[in-house]
Amino acid sequence: MTTAQARLPRSTPPAQPTDADKQLLLFSQGVELAARDLYKKALESAKYSDDEVAMLTMFGEHHNTYAQAMNGLIGKVATNKRNDALYSTHVGQLASAQSAYAALQALENTVAATNTDILGQLRGLDAARILASIITTEARMAAVFGTLPAMSLTSALNSSANSLAPKIAQASEATTETTVSE
Amino acid sequence: MNNISRRDALRVGGLSVFGAAFLAACGKQSGVVESANILSEGVVPPTTALPAGIVTDVVLLRTAASLEYNAIDTYNAVLEGGLLTGNYAKLTDAVKRFRDDHQAHADAVNQLVVALGGKAHTCANDRMNRLYIDPAMKLVTEKGNPDTSRDIIALVHAMENIGVQTYQGFVATLTSPALRADAMRIASNEARHAVVLAQVLNGGYASVGPTNNETTGKPNIASVPAAFGSLSTVLLSVGTPNADNLKPTLTFETPSLNGLIYDFVDCQ
Repeated sequence: MTTAQARLPRSTPPAQPTDADKQLLLFSQGVELAARDLYKKALESAKYSDDEVAMLTMFGEHHNTYAQAMNGLIGKVATNKRNDALYSTHVGQLASAQSAYAALQALENTVAATNTDILGQLRGLDAARILASIITTEARMAAVFGTLPAMSLTSALNSSANSLAPKIAQASEATTETTVSE
Repeated sequence: MNNISRRDALRVGGLSVFGAAFLAACGKQSGVVESANILSEGVVPPTTALPAGIVTDVVLLRTAASLEYNAIDTYNAVLEGGLLTGNYAKLTDAVKRFRDDHQAHADAVNQLVVALGGKAHTCANDRMNRLYIDPAMKLVTEKGNPDTSRDIIALVHAMENIGVQTYQGFVATLTSPALRADAMRIASNEARHAVVLAQVLNGGYASVGPTNNETTGKPNIASVPAAFGSLSTVLLSVGTPNADNLKPTLTFETPSLNGLIYDFVDCQ
């Protein structure tokens, strides 16, 4: 057996998202759109320095980029609707910069936890790769709010956020995976 | 009827006798002991084959554990070598916390290894040490470097980013969705370490996103360098500056196939 052959598991995961994957990614898209809208609202609701505006704008755009990336993965299933429950949880906390930063950090921690939970259910590798690259950046954005305006190691490193992700059962393995012949 | 003269017959016969004698000289000879040290034409000396390097979930996780030990060892070197001086001495508690986090990551990863039937790996990745960390440490601690403390923070920042990228890259190869999520939980924590260190090296709101050095054109250290987590190389500039005030630049990469901790690799 060559190394290249040995790298393949007995059943190769599909590249494309399964039907269950698409439902999970649709949920993730709603969460990302809620985050995008919360950053937009935060910028409208309080006064920030130019550098802060640039940072908050960039973070909001990142979430919009993630929602668009989901579109590419789920195609016609995409609804492009934000998760209103998540939006409602935080929209009332954006009146001042201080409360907004706390709310946006909680938001980033929640979104990162949710996407990590979704990653743990995804079978398709294309979506898994993209979601993994999103999760690391969302963790970074959460940590930034722990370091600015003042450094708090605990706030930057610790997250007790709960995942919002639904549990969606995958179809049986035989219908979604291709067995590699020896 | 063949027209072979007596002279032709003698010539063919002579050649046959010579050929037989030549072949006999090349073959085994009675009474001569064979030695693997003496090469003979047509005889291949025996070799010891390397074990097959098969990339499995266990191998990937053992490799991840080895990188955790690279980080633990480096943070210990920072603490024991007294490399944080001046304002950087304030980071001692953070460095201890990061080291302890990496120990927790190593333990968690090794638990997964054992649960999958593998052998826990509890030492650093030797290849990563030889290729990247040792040369960087040499530059950081060389006499004449005016920025030892700053440079050691830059080194551990690079290592945190390599850790994040390693876990992120393994997502495409790990066979179980649950393992992919476990990997990214650890990666997220290391990404947070990287942000704290990035803010120490290049702090403030203006430095959160990607920027470039106005003099060199090289990218500055950023807390959130891009929208998506990168899998490309990590550049590290450390050591004594040259006449143009530029420090040597090293390029760090995630473990390649010959840097993985296969089943047959043990701690020495």
